[in-house]
Amino acid sequence: MKRGNLCSPASGEALPFILPVILFMLLLVALPVIGTFINSLFRDVPFLEKRFVGFGNFARLFKDPGFRESLLFTALFLLISVSLEMVLGTLFALTMNEKSRLTTLLRVAVLLPWVIPVAVGARIWQLIYNYDYGLLNSIIVLFGGTPVNWLGSPGLALFSVILADVWKTTPFVALIVLTGLKAIPEEVYEQARIDGTNLFNRFFLITFPILRPVFTVALLFRTIDALRVFDVIYVLTGGGPGGSTTSISLFAYRYFLLGDFGLGSASSVVLFLIALSLSVLYLRAARFKEAIS
Amino acid sequence: MSEEKTKKILISASSVFILLFSLVPLLWMLAVSFSGNIDFLRSGRYLITLSNYHDIVRLRNLHFTDYMRNSMIIATLTSLIVVAIGLFAAYAVTRMNFPRKELFVMGVLAVSMFPQISIVGYLFKLMSSIGLINTYPALIIPYVAWTTPVVLWLLTSYLTGIPRELDEAALVDGASRGKALLRVIFPVAAPGVFSAILIAFILSYNEFMFALMLTNDFRARTIPVGIALFQGLHGEIPWGYVMAGAALASLPVILIALFFQRYITEGLTRGAVKG
Amino acid sequence: MNKILLFVLVVGLLTVQGCKKEKRLTIAVGGAPSEVEYLERLIGEFEKETGIHVVLRRQPTDTDQRRQELVIALKARERDPDLFLMDVIWVPQFAASGWLEPLDDYARESGVELSSFFRGVVENVDRYDGKLIALPLYVDGGLLYYRKDLLEKFGFSPPSTWDELVRQARKIQKEVRKKNPSFYGFVWQGAQYEGLVCNFLEFAASMGGGLTDSLGRLTIDRPENIRALQFMRDLINRYRISPPNTYTEMREEEVRLFFQRGDALFERNWPYAWKLHQADDSPVRGKVGMSLLPSSTGGRHVSTLGGWHVGISRFADRKKEAWELLKFLVSKEIQKRLLFDLGWNPGRRDVYGDPEVLKEVPQAAVLQSIFEKAIPRPVLPFYTRISEILQKYLNSALSGDMEPDDALKSAQKEAEVVFSLYEKR
Repeated sequence: MKRGNLCSPASGEALPFILPVILFMLLLVALPVIGTFINSLFRDVPFLEKRFVGFGNFARLFKDPGFRESLLFTALFLLISVSLEMVLGTLFALTMNEKSRLTTLLRVAVLLPWVIPVAVGARIWQLIYNYDYGLLNSIIVLFGGTPVNWLGSPGLALFSVILADVWKTTPFVALIVLTGLKAIPEEVYEQARIDGTNLFNRFFLITFPILRPVFTVALLFRTIDALRVFDVIYVLTGGGPGGSTTSISLFAYRYFLLGDFGLGSASSVVLFLIALSLSVLYLRAARFKEAIS
Repeated sequence: MSEEKTKKILISASSVFILLFSLVPLLWMLAVSFSGNIDFLRSGRYLITLSNYHDIVRLRNLHFTDYMRNSMIIATLTSLIVVAIGLFAAYAVTRMNFPRKELFVMGVLAVSMFPQISIVGYLFKLMSSIGLINTYPALIIPYVAWTTPVVLWLLTSYLTGIPRELDEAALVDGASRGKALLRVIFPVAAPGVFSAILIAFILSYNEFMFALMLTNDFRARTIPVGIALFQGLHGEIPWGYVMAGAALASLPVILIALFFQRYITEGLTRGAVKG
Repeated sequence: MNKILLFVLVVGLLTVQGCKKEKRLTIAVGGAPSEVEYLERLIGEFEKETGIHVVLRRQPTDTDQRRQELVIALKARERDPDLFLMDVIWVPQFAASGWLEPLDDYARESGVELSSFFRGVVENVDRYDGKLIALPLYVDGGLLYYRKDLLEKFGFSPPSTWDELVRQARKIQKEVRKKNPSFYGFVWQGAQYEGLVCNFLEFAASMGGGLTDSLGRLTIDRPENIRALQFMRDLINRYRISPPNTYTEMREEEVRLFFQRGDALFERNWPYAWKLHQADDSPVRGKVGMSLLPSSTGGRHVSTLGGWHVGISRFADRKKEAWELLKFLVSKEIQKRLLFDLGWNPGRRDVYGDPEVLKEVPQAAVLQSIFEKAIPRPVLPFYTRISEILQKYLNSALSGDMEPDDALKSAQKEAEVVFSLYEKR
């Protein structure tokens, strides 16, 4: 039988190779998403009859102060968390890039927070923040201060959640940036040193611009992840106090728990559309910059 | 102060910070897990004990060993399956031409952007209509789909680095595409495949939301959900148990990180530089 | 290619593991580990008596998690568990969702007399759409615990109104603080969770308020409720007889432990605390009395109705056997044993008059009057949603973030939206 060479358009033979992936994607991702979109148009509660309500669910959502609160929280969480991760991750990467006796130890240490399950990490932070026995309050009391209610006051809870998340996700950014750093040849720095630029200028004028594509990738992934945050909040605060740390995902989940699939789906759809828009905006912006440079 | 000196000081300070930041919470977890009294920082006395570990493994009510078993089996099966189908797909993407290849790749990548909550609601209805709620397949099947994008990304970039001449040689000898992949490419790609398996394992092992909504008891529940929901009598939390559980739960993935750190970091960062 | 097929087949078979489902009678029980163990033994006796094999599915201790597990199973129309326990506040949700098997015929055929149960409980909670869909395993109602040694020392008898309670608490607190600076007059549950709603309902209803009117409409922002909420705040900030972490941390166990340490004069808690207060190692052993919660002057003594009920799943595959087990659990003999051994108060009033009970459990008379008078929280399928709203706003008022009238008005508004969303049309 005749076989085409490696690059001929013998597309038929590719089918069995890609079919499993296509099936999984269609049946387990595309189908549920479409199903969710459709479901969001219905009043779907176990103790009432299912009924088409068009955009009624969405209208109710936007009138719900809890939903608006979750939008605000998610936006704040995203902005602060991602900024911190990017800065911290870059710092980590710069440090790990330097050859020292500690390099392997640093690499392993940095990886650990990332590999453990989010839920487990969150439980550890829940204890760290604990009012009576927590690490933070115990240290504070040791120095004569008054214990702080890390998870019980609305303003503080936001930062507590962000810190726990940053702890877990900075490694990811650090590793990506580190790879980018490693790709920069030493000669570039040599030249810069000879030219007399100092440490900080070297970073901002040379390193930073070269790292831009890497930053873009990290930023995109982290933004989408922050947008859909669920695990760490569920465990750490359950969305409280008073709904002040409820993300959109958690808000949708609450409705699913009540059995209201209509409103749960509607909330999920809103989140999906936000994620979609952000991704598209992002990619457009990234291409635009590339086109310029 | 010379620049070199400044740099050295900054790097040292930064290294110390990194170590403390990353490790202190984990050390705290260990300290509490081995203590008989969790207020040891306030009281100053530290009673060392193994009873927390002993109890959570021994007490059937807590179902800790069930959760660990479920997690290990589900994560292992998922990683094997997803890498198998991902390898085939990656091969097709890097070695073959097919219509709308761009769409395929972009589509799979787009999937990784979807919020889980937008999928899980309908997934629940799907699974319950087939009667699979609270079973291993209920998690394995979605996990395979969920980890496919990362695995495909990883394997694609890895396979791109393997010269086509290898394939060509095999094909010229009369082998089919499939054989070429398995006999020739697979052995060469083994490190990349291994990285993919490790990462898929870690991702499935750590997954939370699907497990929370698609399982409801010890027969299929996984360890992240088990640890998250760990409560005590009448609502007071037995922190010693929780931290011991956390330590044991983290053990598999930490061991993987310690022994295979190279594979993981290389796998993760490969695709990143390509963008 | 063959190797691949084999690989896939093996993996597929392994994956299918855990899919087997046989017909069996499964009961889902949760609660404290000691309670679960006890039930296990009890059910073992049932098995011996009737020859029916029962599988026990253990649920976590946390109420919300128990509900989540059941909701998932019921929404998926699983055949197991056949029988399960429900917190009193979920019964309307489960009933309205069509998840509970009607029990009238079973009861009639087995000769189970509904009049032996507390009427208020059965009619309010266990009936939906006229049909009986559950029976009480045990009931709960809030009550007042007090340090009788301290009251005696100062020549007081247990307070019958809130004013009396405040007066007594202030006086005694001032004296006891001279020796024990962490002493407080009155501890109750004010953290942001379901228990807060229970406490609030007791304060409010005893002052003539309540959450719904006789027609079932929401009346959260009634003036009596506002007064009650202000009173709760005053307990912490003005009279200072309740600790400042009342609204951040105080739940059942925190309150119980506080009182049990000897640091409180009055405690509002559920009946379960009694046994623990009388335990051998309890510092307040023998010094505790219990009574109805105070009323406002001219008002009534009120307890929020709590407790757990047993129901049969509509999708169960062994309904007849499930009924046998249900009958067993709510039978007079077993209810008596649950009272003696677990401190679970029967939903059957005929147990309280039993001579053995009166001897062993001297406070049975008090308990019976509490349960006769206990008021349920709003019987709505979407009660948990309303409760979430209430918890949020009640807690904001207690913490000082909002004024009581604003808080309750906002709660009323939000709750009305939920109401219009979900009421039957």
